[in-house]
Amino acid sequence: MPIDLLKFPNDLLREVFRLCDPFDLYILSKCSKKCSQRSTTLGRPKKWEISFWGWDELDVSIEDSHYYFIQTNNPEDYFKTELGRHTNKMDIEFPNGGGVDVFIHLIDIFGIRIVDSLEITHGSIAIFSKLAEVLVDRQMEIEFFAIGHIEQVQDVVNFAPTLSQMNITEEFRCFLKFPPDFHFNLVKYPRKMDIDDSSWFTIDELLNCTSVRIELQNSMLSNHDLDLFFRKWKKAGEFPNLRRLEIRSENIDNKSPILEMNLPIENVDNPNLGVLIYGNFSIVNSVRVAKDDGTVGWLKVNVGFCGKLEFLIPDPADYVVNSVVEGIEDNEDDDW
Amino acid sequence: MSSTEQGTSSAAPAEPTTAPESAAAPEVPESFYYVHGKDKVVHKVSAGALQHSALIHGMISNLGYTEEQAKANPFPFENIDGDILQMVVDWCNQHKGKPTPPEDTNLPKQKEKLFDLVLAVNYLEIKELLTYCCKQVAMMVKGKSPEEIREIWMIPTDAEDEAAEKEAKKRAGKEAAGETAAAAGDAK
Repeated sequence: MPIDLLKFPNDLLREVFRLCDPFDLYILSKCSKKCSQRSTTLGRPKKWEISFWGWDELDVSIEDSHYYFIQTNNPEDYFKTELGRHTNKMDIEFPNGGGVDVFIHLIDIFGIRIVDSLEITHGSIAIFSKLAEVLVDRQMEIEFFAIGHIEQVQDVVNFAPTLSQMNITEEFRCFLKFPPDFHFNLVKYPRKMDIDDSSWFTIDELLNCTSVRIELQNSMLSNHDLDLFFRKWKKAGEFPNLRRLEIRSENIDNKSPILEMNLPIENVDNPNLGVLIYGNFSIVNSVRVAKDDGTVGWLKVNVGFCGKLEFLIPDPADYVVNSVVEGIEDNEDDDW
Repeated sequence: MSSTEQGTSSAAPAEPTTAPESAAAPEVPESFYYVHGKDKVVHKVSAGALQHSALIHGMISNLGYTEEQAKANPFPFENIDGDILQMVVDWCNQHKGKPTPPEDTNLPKQKEKLFDLVLAVNYLEIKELLTYCCKQVAMMVKGKSPEEIREIWMIPTDAEDEAAEKEAKKRAGKEAAGETAAAAGDAK
């Protein structure tokens, strides 16, 4: 027996939509524009987050519950659902062959304000430009953003102005190799910066960076740059967030000092001294350096084919200084 | 369960069944009130059962009616069909003084009445029952396609919405033209 739902008063409709799961609301949004509008306006009481990895699925989640919208090209499978305890799946059509339109539709339906994870991992970045512009226009928060090995690097270069405006809050990870003249400034730095090919990340970027953790691989930074960085770091109030810095650069060598210390920089007087923070990151035989305000950091710089700088600024609440090296391993599988 | 009278002037309603109480508990006389719907059939309901309805609870909380006064002044709910009110009264009686479970298996099964029931429950402000009813409405479309949902929830297609909108505009235009013509006629 049918029931004339849209004749319900708004507070009742809101209650019905509140009791619908994301798949119900998605299907409802496909019933008619008017119905989509009502469910969009009324059915958004929860703080949903969305993730998109550029492939054939999108994840709308809240706490431990994940709702995956998976692309299918078979119309017979449209709206087929599989419900589990935490993981739920529904097959849907991806209009225009990609997930970008679905992404925008989903953030509209659920009133999503936070992108949990967004990864551009393959293909052309051009299709993401539209998405990025929407995210910037709506001032949406992107907790994790990664750029993978995109074929058309020039597209990424063109995308840089939009990228620099994106509100990335937790982590920016980039595996792409940019042209040597590539340059852009992030308006706001996330807590973590992890850049696989960081030749474009200049000393100016580093001096302005407000992240908690910075990892720069294949960097062009030199001893002189790093000396500049540490001289700034030593000043009271500078880099108040920084807890970990790791840089690998061919330009780190033993030809000039950093903080008046010749390279390599390591603790030879008290070997086997390990510094551990967050239970994960450790440096063995590092040298103690102090800021003007008394904050302590631990520095180690190796030279060789590719120089490596490691720098930890422990918090007295969670760091451990051990005289025994055993048991302290550099574990990159961190969650912080 | 409630006792039901056919009309307000019939014989005194049967005494309601009261829940067994422990011997140690002091006996407090239960007060009763009377409600009727569109069909004028009067239902005798205990104050305890009526506590589920925020609307009625608010109405009776300061009345201090005697049994006779309450009987002489049943609450009229002319906007609620008699059978719907009966369902609501039954539910309130079944859940009198009990914590409401997360899932209610005692809900009325007649889906054709669900729409009216939801509206009545919403009007009477029975929060728990409203949640159950809305859940039942939401469950109606689980695993259904947009076409099936359109049918179950009577959702017009975009084309039907557009046609209805055009028709409404046309009607409004005609009405406006009619009013203008009438006004011109009056002026002559």
